[in-house]
Amino acid sequence: MIEQLKNIWQRRELLYYIVRFQMKAEKKNKVLGFVWSFLDPLLLALTYIVLVHYIFGRGGPQFPALLFIALLSWKWFASSLSRSVTSITSKVGLIQSVRFPLAILPLSGIIIGFFDWLFGFVILVPILFIFEASFTVNILWLPVLLLIEFVGIVGICLIMAVVGTYLADLGNIIQFLIRICFYLSPILYSVEDRVPERFTTLYMLGNPFAGLLESYKNVLVLGTPPTEYALVGTAVCVVLFLIGLWYFSRDEHKLVKSI
Amino acid sequence: MINVNDLGIKFKMEKRRRSGALAFLLERSHNRQRSPREFWALRHVSFTVERGDTVGIIGRNGSGKSTVLRVIAGVYPPDEGKVSVNGEVSTLFSLGAGFQPELSGRDNIYLNGIMVGLKKDRIEEIFDVIIEFAELGDFIDMPVRTYSSGMRARLGFAIAMHSDKDIVLIDEIMGAGDAAFKQKADVEMSRIIGERTVIIVSHNMSTIEKFANKVIWLDRGVMAAMGEPKEVIEQYLAASKVKKRPPDEY
Repeated sequence: MIEQLKNIWQRRELLYYIVRFQMKAEKKNKVLGFVWSFLDPLLLALTYIVLVHYIFGRGGPQFPALLFIALLSWKWFASSLSRSVTSITSKVGLIQSVRFPLAILPLSGIIIGFFDWLFGFVILVPILFIFEASFTVNILWLPVLLLIEFVGIVGICLIMAVVGTYLADLGNIIQFLIRICFYLSPILYSVEDRVPERFTTLYMLGNPFAGLLESYKNVLVLGTPPTEYALVGTAVCVVLFLIGLWYFSRDEHKLVKSI
Repeated sequence: MINVNDLGIKFKMEKRRRSGALAFLLERSHNRQRSPREFWALRHVSFTVERGDTVGIIGRNGSGKSTVLRVIAGVYPPDEGKVSVNGEVSTLFSLGAGFQPELSGRDNIYLNGIMVGLKKDRIEEIFDVIIEFAELGDFIDMPVRTYSSGMRARLGFAIAMHSDKDIVLIDEIMGAGDAAFKQKADVEMSRIIGERTVIIVSHNMSTIEKFANKVIWLDRGVMAAMGEPKEVIEQYLAASKVKKRPPDEY
């Protein structure tokens, strides 16, 4: 497993180029090009803001800011996950022509997703000001939360990259699960608001990422420290990372023959 | 330089990937533990390649020629036997593979260079030579999916030739070009013959005969013959002649 990490580190230049070229290829075909990197999260957030805030009249005065940060972090997770499922099978030509650590492929999707997060963050900053987010020292937790999320995403994506190579229809299943998890996570609502108090612990333990999402909102908008439930999320992320790394390393050589 | 000893590569013939997860679960629940059929793409293959050798691999479709190249490129770990490769291997270029269709020719040159471990400066050095050889003109900044098969072949060949690796693997890319490309490719091949170690897979016997000093004939994953190009090619051609059907009885 440590070997795996070392191999990836050695080929970091390859990772860099795959990320760069893939982003280029994704944006180049569109007229607006990388303007979409800003428009995508903005339009998505607007849809939900209109729906929840204006049509259903819920969410409170800071709702747009709360929604936006949760949505960004969710999108990073969701897009990495759906990319990872086909990350191996979509690069058959590359894989069959030269040897390199295959983990670079799902990893590149995660990094591309993080760039999208960064583009979205540029949009988020003015939104934070408009909706009077309270800036406190707790904002320093943000990189920590991102790191935890990154570790967790890597774990899940490594697993999904392997399983997605074996099972052709995993992509469909994942799309469906992502959708369900979206509604089960505190993105369109806050736990305090919508989850009855006696179920809070159950909810937070049942959905380890809920703690992380709530923490994002806390540190950026509400100016409070992360919730204690983020610890659950952290533990789950680390365990997922270890499982993913182990599973991927175990099956890596089998993958080449399965595509 | 390359030592292949009793190499075996095994594939599982699984239908699972096609039928998907649902079928997999159903099969599980019915407890039909059908063990997947195994298929040896290569078995008991042994040969050595010395530094400076040019080895031709011939055989019918599906006989395992490309699999041999992939093993040498380090893509497939052997299931049986041992393979040792002393030296750095260029990217394995076969028609259509190795390129990212959405990327421009320029980006593909970079990507392939980085993949085989070249430094950025070195890629920039060989960049112009590759473009000139490939005769891509303005197409160099177009996505590779818009290229004709001849253009792809030229680009792939040019990259393989200029990646300054000890071992060059060529999988049937010489066949796709026109007469002018073939001539250029011949010149290029003659330049590196003897200097670098080359392994060519081709159905074009004259190419093989011209360059190879050793030929391996693979037949359904096992070695049918190995040795002097002329002899092995003759044997192969004799064996693959279509046998005349006996005259019908009525």
